[in-house]
Amino acid sequence: MVELDYDIVIVGGGGAGLYAALWAAENTILKVAVITKVYPTRSHTGAAEGGINAVLTHSVGDSPEAHAYDTVKGSDFLADQDAVDIMCKMGAAVIYDIAHRGVPFSRRPDGRIAQRPFGGASFPRTCYAADKTGFYILQTLYEQCLKNNVTFFNEWFLLSIIHNGEKIEGITVWDIRNGGVHLIKTKAVILATGGHARVYWNRTSNALGNTGDGTAAALRAGLPLKDMEFIQFHPTGLAKTGILVTEGARGEGGYLRNKDGERFMKRYAPEKMELAPRDIVARAIQTEIDEGRGCGPNGDYICLDLTHLGEEKINERLPQTREHAILYEGVDPVKEPIPIAPTAHYSMGGIDADKLGRTPIKGLYAAGECACISVHGANRLGGNSLLDVLVYGRLTALEAVKYADEASETKPSAAKAKDDEKRILELMEASGKEKLADLRKELGNTMMKHFGVFREEKTMKEGLEKLMEIRERAKHVKVYDTSKKFNTDLVTVLEFLNLVDLAPTIAIPAIERKESRGAHARKDYPKRDDKNFLKHSVVKLKDDGSYELSWKPVTITKFPPEERKY
Amino acid sequence: METAILQVFRYDPEKDQAPYYKEYEVPVEGTLLNALLYIKDNLDSTLTFRAFCRSEVCGSCSVKVNGKTKLACKTPMKELVETWKGKPLRIEPLNHMKVIKDLVVDIDKPIEKMKTLIPWLVPDPRVVPTDPMHESIIYPEEMEAYKDQIHCMLCFSCYSACEAVADNDRYRGPFAFSKAYRFQVDRRDIETAKEKRIRYAISGGLWSCVQCQKCIYVCPKGVKPAEDIQNLRGQAVKKGFTDKPGARKLKHFVDWIYATGQINRLYLPEEVYGNKEAREKLTKAYTEMGVEVWEVPKPTKGLMKFRDIYLEILSKEDKALDLDFSHVRKIDRMVSEIFKADICTIVDRTHEEGRSSKGLISKLKGLLGGK
Repeated sequence: MVELDYDIVIVGGGGAGLYAALWAAENTILKVAVITKVYPTRSHTGAAEGGINAVLTHSVGDSPEAHAYDTVKGSDFLADQDAVDIMCKMGAAVIYDIAHRGVPFSRRPDGRIAQRPFGGASFPRTCYAADKTGFYILQTLYEQCLKNNVTFFNEWFLLSIIHNGEKIEGITVWDIRNGGVHLIKTKAVILATGGHARVYWNRTSNALGNTGDGTAAALRAGLPLKDMEFIQFHPTGLAKTGILVTEGARGEGGYLRNKDGERFMKRYAPEKMELAPRDIVARAIQTEIDEGRGCGPNGDYICLDLTHLGEEKINERLPQTREHAILYEGVDPVKEPIPIAPTAHYSMGGIDADKLGRTPIKGLYAAGECACISVHGANRLGGNSLLDVLVYGRLTALEAVKYADEASETKPSAAKAKDDEKRILELMEASGKEKLADLRKELGNTMMKHFGVFREEKTMKEGLEKLMEIRERAKHVKVYDTSKKFNTDLVTVLEFLNLVDLAPTIAIPAIERKESRGAHARKDYPKRDDKNFLKHSVVKLKDDGSYELSWKPVTITKFPPEERKY
Repeated sequence: METAILQVFRYDPEKDQAPYYKEYEVPVEGTLLNALLYIKDNLDSTLTFRAFCRSEVCGSCSVKVNGKTKLACKTPMKELVETWKGKPLRIEPLNHMKVIKDLVVDIDKPIEKMKTLIPWLVPDPRVVPTDPMHESIIYPEEMEAYKDQIHCMLCFSCYSACEAVADNDRYRGPFAFSKAYRFQVDRRDIETAKEKRIRYAISGGLWSCVQCQKCIYVCPKGVKPAEDIQNLRGQAVKKGFTDKPGARKLKHFVDWIYATGQINRLYLPEEVYGNKEAREKLTKAYTEMGVEVWEVPKPTKGLMKFRDIYLEILSKEDKALDLDFSHVRKIDRMVSEIFKADICTIVDRTHEEGRSSKGLISKLKGLLGGK
């Protein structure tokens, strides 16, 4: 076991982690390190396509207030409005900052950053770089981190968070490349480990590793998780693989059609049509499929029609969409509509953090998709996640710097690291009745079937039982690869166990939230119920391994709840 | 269901004395990455490879298939089976990097190499506002200059395929030069950084590239490192970094072609490597073999016109400044001494003699679009 000593440790090397590292590196002489289970540029921020929302100085007629209102309305009034206010006001500052660092934003003919319309937005305020916005941001942030000599520990996997009930003391990690548990003593930790939509293993737009590692570690360390029942289903995942087709495809004028060729969105959101928020479009598509108006021999998908945009516009604005449709679906969008269906995409819920990204444990922060601030409430608007990632990467970095500057040395005990070592050894020596791939598939199917786009008390309760059964069986999953070095068999099992721990935190509040709000759509309670449920759900893991649900008020400042119509 | 055989490279340095190949039968469905995941899920969970996004943006899963570098998630199994017509598909780790385990290689070294070329923007405060609320204006057309290079996702396919990396450990690798070049053509990047990048590129093997173009061929994202390397070389010469053999060879080509219409093999060793004896030895050897030796080619009819057209081509490629007129005048003087007349007189004389270089001129005109 190696022991390391840092002042600030950032876990995760995606957009939030890198931007935090950059702002920490530029604003302190403290020792900062980034730990990531992959190389930073592999992170899933790179797959964000459509863009990043911000009101810029030249956005005539738009304002941060309008952006905040759209965000709150999109969230179905569950977002905390003080946090939304901070995020929307910082929009221009982070956009200009990353543009100055080299992000090649698409430009208007006059040289200013171009913006396009996006779902649920009252103005075209989504800045973009072709359809690879996240990719360019991630690459640029990595370049800038190299420039600032940021210390990276690549291919290190977070195991446990160590705190004394009041403040953070350190973390333990598994060194994938060399094998072995390390204990890192640190004054501050920023969790930027991304989302957990891989819990829907068989139908998701997420990368193979979006397994909520930081969220699960926080849960096991006794931290509260907030609003976990809200999982965003992206309306347009490729039919065969769930791989994402950007909302930009509809932003640029794409149509959704059912098997009769009808632009059915006119029945669901007559004004916004295809550009209604994601939850509404996803439900519309699912309804069309469920009611027998889906396309294809099995009627299990809907058509995203871009053919009328013409080859030139598709090549210029949506080159990656075209490439992916050809490669993974065998369809050229210039000639034919793309088969799509909803796909699990984004975790609105996550580690409970306040408007500055602080968790209840001092010195422990959360930023990006693993956090629930909450700026997205019950449904995130397209283009707001990259903004969230940058704003909170930066804010948590500044908070962590301030805190670590004054904090005293910590003394984490080595007990946790020893426990983790034992746990890993046990996995390799387990009897192994259960096979990872099968159980993981079962988990994914259970989540999709019982906690999918539409939910209902009876099926959810059955689902929760199944999840608990899977959790029990997961104890008998065997790691077949017994080598120390680069044991991806072990890592995938650890990832799976994280998903297994997280699944009930989605299921339990989903059952108890007896209303429909944002992405949480219940057939048995189709209406929003502000009187009883305008509140955040909070789930904790108790020492005996059971889950505890409580509720917490929503911060409402400027925008009182109103009916959400598009 | 149609299946195919993958022969996968296996090597665990902890356990295996030597690498070996293991065969797996996989469905011909989806991509090569799907096949590898199929093996891991169903046949052998110890198989080790990197993969993450599965949609060709993260660059994790490059491997070799029957010697050719491929991004696994971008390679349909059907295509592989059709290309190799039933032959087994041998899946191996990338070249030029240490194998950590099975298909996983150590990519730290190429990243460290890239880092030496300043692959980040060093903003020029006269162009990029220091006020964070002030936008820097960039016109869409100026972004054309680096529209390909920004697609590099560090998959190291080009690094694996590169001939120069194979020969020269110091060589930074094709992608690293493309990452560097992206900032060389960005107006916002400060001049001092651009000069440094050139200097570091030269010590990182800029002139070692043999222009085999494999990097262009294997790049899954349409980046063209070999072209970027040529452009970096051009910038190096323009910035006065001419003391490397590669730069001197380029200078020899440009100057001699302008002066005489062709390169001069007799003077090449001397001008590029400072080998003064080579010319005498070559002359002697040729004479002994009975081969007629021209120290300089006799100027042909139309040489002056040729020079105009050649200069026009260089100007179009923004390389006119590569031409060193003092060197050209030196060559002219040499020609005058040998043919006992100034260059114009000789050309006029060949006109009278009726010797022609029509072929050459029409060829050049073709290059210029028939003007």
